[in-house]
Formats: sequence, C-alpha cells, structure tokens
Amino acid sequence: MSFPDPIEVFRTEAAELLEQIEAGLLDLNVNLGDKDQVDAVFRGLHTLKGSGAMFGFEALAAFTHHCETAFDRVRKGEVPATQALVTAVLDAKDHMRALVETPNGDHEARGEHLLASLRQAVDGSETGHASTTAAGPALTLYKIRFSLPQNAMANGTNPLPLLDELRDLGECRITADRSAIPALDQLFPTDLHISWTVELLSAQPRSAIEDVFIFVMDEMELAIETQEPDAPASTPAVASAAPAPQAAPEASVAEPVRAVVPAIAVPASTPADAKPSKAAENVRVPAEKLDELMDRVGELVIAQSRLSQLAGGSGDLQLRAVSEDVERLSGELRDTMMVLRMVPVTHLFSRFRRLVHDLAHETGKTIELITEGETTEVDKSVIERLADPLVHLVRNSCDHGLEPPEERLAAGKDKAGHILLSARQQGGEVIITIKDDGRGINKDRVRAKAEASGLIPANASLSDQDLYQLIFQPGFSTAQTVTNLSGRGVGMDVVKRTIDALRGTINVVSHPGQGSEISLAIPLTLAIIDGLLVRVGSGRYVIPLSAVEECLELSIEEDMRSRGRSFISLRDSLVPFIRLRDLFRTGTKPDPFQKVVVISTGSERVGLVVDQIIGDHQTVIKAMSKLHHDVATFSGATILGDGDVALILDVGHLVSEGQQQEAHLRAAG
Amino acid sequence: MPALHPTDNHFALPANATLRTVTDTHEDLLAFMAFHDTTVLDWAETTQFDISLLQLLEAARIHAGTSGKDISLAEPATGLLLDTLRRSGFLEGMSAADAQFWLHQGEIQ
Repeated sequence: MSFPDPIEVFRTEAAELLEQIEAGLLDLNVNLGDKDQVDAVFRGLHTLKGSGAMFGFEALAAFTHHCETAFDRVRKGEVPATQALVTAVLDAKDHMRALVETPNGDHEARGEHLLASLRQAVDGSETGHASTTAAGPALTLYKIRFSLPQNAMANGTNPLPLLDELRDLGECRITADRSAIPALDQLFPTDLHISWTVELLSAQPRSAIEDVFIFVMDEMELAIETQEPDAPASTPAVASAAPAPQAAPEASVAEPVRAVVPAIAVPASTPADAKPSKAAENVRVPAEKLDELMDRVGELVIAQSRLSQLAGGSGDLQLRAVSEDVERLSGELRDTMMVLRMVPVTHLFSRFRRLVHDLAHETGKTIELITEGETTEVDKSVIERLADPLVHLVRNSCDHGLEPPEERLAAGKDKAGHILLSARQQGGEVIITIKDDGRGINKDRVRAKAEASGLIPANASLSDQDLYQLIFQPGFSTAQTVTNLSGRGVGMDVVKRTIDALRGTINVVSHPGQGSEISLAIPLTLAIIDGLLVRVGSGRYVIPLSAVEECLELSIEEDMRSRGRSFISLRDSLVPFIRLRDLFRTGTKPDPFQKVVVISTGSERVGLVVDQIIGDHQTVIKAMSKLHHDVATFSGATILGDGDVALILDVGHLVSEGQQQEAHLRAAG
Repeated sequence: MPALHPTDNHFALPANATLRTVTDTHEDLLAFMAFHDTTVLDWAETTQFDISLLQLLEAARIHAGTSGKDISLAEPATGLLLDTLRRSGFLEGMSAADAQFWLHQGEIQ
C-alpha cells in the first residue's frame, strides 16, 4: 500500500486554503465590516503559514506571516479593513500560490514589492484609527497549561508558532514539561510528548488565547486561569529574562498561581461559533483513485450484463436469481459511485468571483457577480472541463456585454453591471447559465460579419438561435476593438468544441439593450448512463435514455406514406424523423414493424426510426478512438454483454440534423 | 546515515533537523548509540531545528542514562539552536544536568 507524498498533500490543502482565503477576501470587499470574513481570512492565513512551515515551505510561511499579522491587526480592531488592504492581500495570495508551486523559484523581488504594498495599505488605514486603540485596557495575568494531541506534529501542527503567538499576546514565560518523553528506543519520533505551562501578562481577552489554539482545540487539553496582576502581592512575575511590566511584582515562579476564575474545563471548550470537528468523518481521496474505481465499476457493469444475458438464455432458475441479485447490487454500486464523483458547482463558481473582480478593475466597469444554485452537483470530470468555457463566456460578458458605467447611466440602467452565473439540474442534465444585463448581442452586426466571412449567404433566412450560434464559429468576433480580454474570436469556438465534447448543447437568448443569456446544458455524468439499446440493420446502438421522450410504432403504410416527407404527426404537431437505416447505409430491408424513438433536447424533438427496440441498458461510456473521434453522429461507444461494441448516438447532433431537415422541407414548401 | 567509525564518536545531525528528517535521524542515532558508549552530537552543519529534534535529543539523553552511556553536544547551544530552546520553553526551569547538556553549564547569552 502506498501513502501519498506529504508534500503533494500539503500542496492540495494549500490550494484549497488559498481558495478559501480568496473567497473570504472577495466577500470582505463587498462588506468591509464583516467580522466573520476577517476571522475567516485570518484563520486561512494562519493555517497556511503553520502548515507551510511544517512542511518546509519556509519562504511561504515567512511571507504569509506578514499578511496574517495585517489581518490580526484588523481582527483586533487596530486597523480597519479597507479595499486597499483586500487588494494587497489578494495580490499577495497569488504570490503565495507561486511560493507553494515553485518554492525554489526567484520570488524575492516580487515578494518585497507586495509586502511594500501591504505595508502601505495597513499604514494608510492606520491614520486616524490609532486614537481608538490609544487607551489600553487593564492587564490580566493568565496561567495556561496545555498539551497538544500526541499526533499533532504528524498532522501538521507545529507547536513553535503556537508558542510564538502566545508571546505576541503579551509578556510571556513559557516552561516545557518534558517528563513524559520516553527513552530513545521507546520513542515514536513524530509523536509529541511535551506539554507546556505559560504565564502570560496581557491586555488581550481570554478569547485571544483560545484563538491561538482554534485549530487543535477539539483534541487538545487546555486550561486557562486568570488573575488580576496588580491586585495581590503574591502574583508571580511573568518574565524573568525580560523586564517585568510595571504592574507585575517580583515573586518566585514556583509559587502556584491563585485562580480567581475557575479553570476552563478539560478537554478545552470551543469558542461559541466553533463547530464540532468533522475531521474524522471525511477522508481525502485522490481523484485518480476515484477514476480507477469508476473503471472497475464499469467493468463490473459490463460483466453483469454478460451474466444477465447468459442467465436469460438458461433455464437454470438459481442462476437467474443470482444474476438478478448481481444486477441489483451492481446498479446500487454504480449509483453510489456516481454520488462519490459528484461535486457541487460552488467549486467551479468560486473562481469566477476573482475573475470578475479583476476584470472590473481592468475594464474600469462596476460589475457585480451573482451566483445561484451553487449546491447543484455535477460529475467531477464535467466540472473540470467546464472551467475554461465558462471563463471565456464570463470574460465576454464583462468585456463586450456590459456597458461602461456612463453608457449604462445614459441608458437608464444601474451604474453597476450584473452577471448572473447559475446552475440547476433538469433531468439528466445540468443547465449552467451566464446572464448579463448589458447591451445584448447585436444581431445585425452578427449577420453582417457572418455574410462577410462567407459563413452564410447574403440575406439567408435564419432563426435568431441559428444566427446567435454563428458566434461560436472559429474566428468569429463582432468586437470592434481587440482587448486583452476578448475580441479576437478565439475562445467562443473553443467553448462550442468543449461543450460538444461533453455531449452538451448551447442555447443563446439576447434582447437588445437588456442583455444576453447563454445556457449550457451538460450531462450530469460522462461515465455511465442509462441507455436505450436499439437495433438498426444488424448493428446495435445506444440512445441516452434521458433524451428519450417516447417510442412509437411506424407501420409500413405510414412509412410508405411519409416517404419524401419524413414527418410524423404526434399529438397535433409534426415531428421530423430520421431513418437511421438510411443514415447508416445498412443496406438491409426495414423490419415490418419499425419503431420511432422520439428524442429531445429542450423544446426541440426528432424521431429516430429503428428496426427494433431491445430494451434499457446500463451503458459504460468508452471514448471513441482517435480515428473516429470527429464522427459527429456518435458520442462514444460501449461494450455489450456479449462482447460486441455498440455506438452511442449523439442526441444533440441528431436533433440538430432533424431540425435542419425540417427547415429545408418547410422552405421547399 | 552518518559514517560509523569505531573510533569516531561524533554523530552529525542533518542540515535540516526538523520533523521532515526526524524519523531517519531517530533510526540513525539509535543505531549509532548501539555501537558507541559515548555519543557526541555534532550540530555544526545544522541550519534548521524544531521541537521534534529537541524531543529526540531529550529521549536520547534518557536512553543514554538508562543504558549507562554518555551523550553530549559537541558545542553548547548557541544561535538557532539556543533560539529554538528558548522558544520551546526548554530554558525555563532547567536542572543542572539540563544546563550541562544543552549549555555546557554556560549562561544563556
């Protein structure tokens, strides 16, 4: 059994911490008085610093310390949170990422520059604020006894920074209790056997001491006793080496501290807002292990399919019973596996807050990002592949969609432009929408550009949707100026390609002067789907079940009658259909009782004429070979129970084909 | 792994004497002490210390005491090592034996 590289584990955790810090900073930027966010950012920086030092990322720990100190001062009310400070720490956060990724790189000059900005931000905010902290509160003498969990060091908690933090709170005398250290041959060297007694003279409240231990509070033992230092003469001095504060009379340190306030219960109590530890309930698993497990489940589903087929052809009732059990269990295992792979889109959406923040800064626009449906869950591989397309779409909205503030005000709109990023589940798909309240897509300009590029003939009759789809053609851009952000026509075609590869569709709605809405409909998973197995000629094919609306019989008479028209009447509406036998050129005669499988994407429907509907089928999706990768009609392949390969139909493409066929026939009258 | 010369009782601590290396240092030191009645800990080349090292050396002192062996620092703690001792709270309440081992009975500078 192999253990993950601790450095890589740290890098993963650091990346998550940096995301949390960024989210906290962006929230704080919206409400500078939000103390919860100040605390959250501080805790993130504090943990990053401590873990960094523990794993040998000294430069990261040293750099982060400055940011942590700045936020500690905000937390203590010594300086206010300002936008300048938030911006400085956001920039510093990017530098921290670089220090995590390339700790041996040449980061010194950049680090110095960022720290200068940070100092400037803190010093600037300090002016006029000092008076609030001028009169110091009364000093309190604390006697603190603590022992960390035995596995604290192995889990990344370095006691030294904790002790340093206690020193930062005031005059301190720290004594290590080494009596529990075993002999060398009994020692497990990463375990911690030392506990501490600390006498602290500080103006800080008890909560400041508890905050030092906030991340280990649940598992450690901590006792804090307090005593007013200037009242009884028997109060011990705090520091023997350093001069004692004026209020602390000299006395023997061996004399026990008289507790005025009862000691905090052991194990330590948690701050009021702290939640019970959930650490033991979560296990971090590398993504590739999940992929590996998914592959195994896929193979099991295929094997189960073969077993079902064998059992079905056998008269052995016991074999059939076992086969049914295995089918049920593999189905449940598949469902459990799918849940494991699902992650909320909040991980995806959170990165856009920073993007929009930076884009607003670059363009001089005021932009508010609103996110909805962040708890919607999508397969992790889908999430990963959606990131780039969404970046392009959000950048486009910020750069081209939203107007500059003066133009918005002149149009009677809010000065701030709004971008809504939302996600919702609809059947077997997740719909991700990027909506802005900007100027909308200029249809005339799209048409002119498309005609000039030869994408469409002059005066071609196109629906709005077809016209908008042109913006996803390679090299297509209606932007009159190319900016750093967009306007080169590079990107939107990449969006289209990526969404196609995900077996998704793009829908565009735009209203002049009111804004645009681009919706991406993506399958929830790319790994296993429920499919409808059909036969066309001698070949078998899978139609994703989530797209199937209904199945009908196409009699020979109706087939003959509809020749040349390819429409069926379905509850008073005409639905175009495609004869797959013709499309695939099977060269076989049609079955006497052909079936029409009606499939849809959103409001568009098309019928697929097949020879036989075999039944539902758990479909483990395998990618097409490189040779067949660009065959548009198929989105993948699967292995059937008897070992044969069945191709999976690309629903989006077929619906689009059917709709075009309908448009041509309607145009022909 | 430091070289095990029968006549050389110096055990060189690694440059990075922290939690990252403490497991290896523990194994090496245990093996070294098994072959030597006297162990002199050489930390001249060590540039990073943490509490795990201090704890390891305390454990080595106990081990030496129970097995009738001697252990000492080649040089008294100064600089970073002294700073780590101070930050860790090892300098408060030191016994004479502690002061002899860590500071060679010297004063804290």
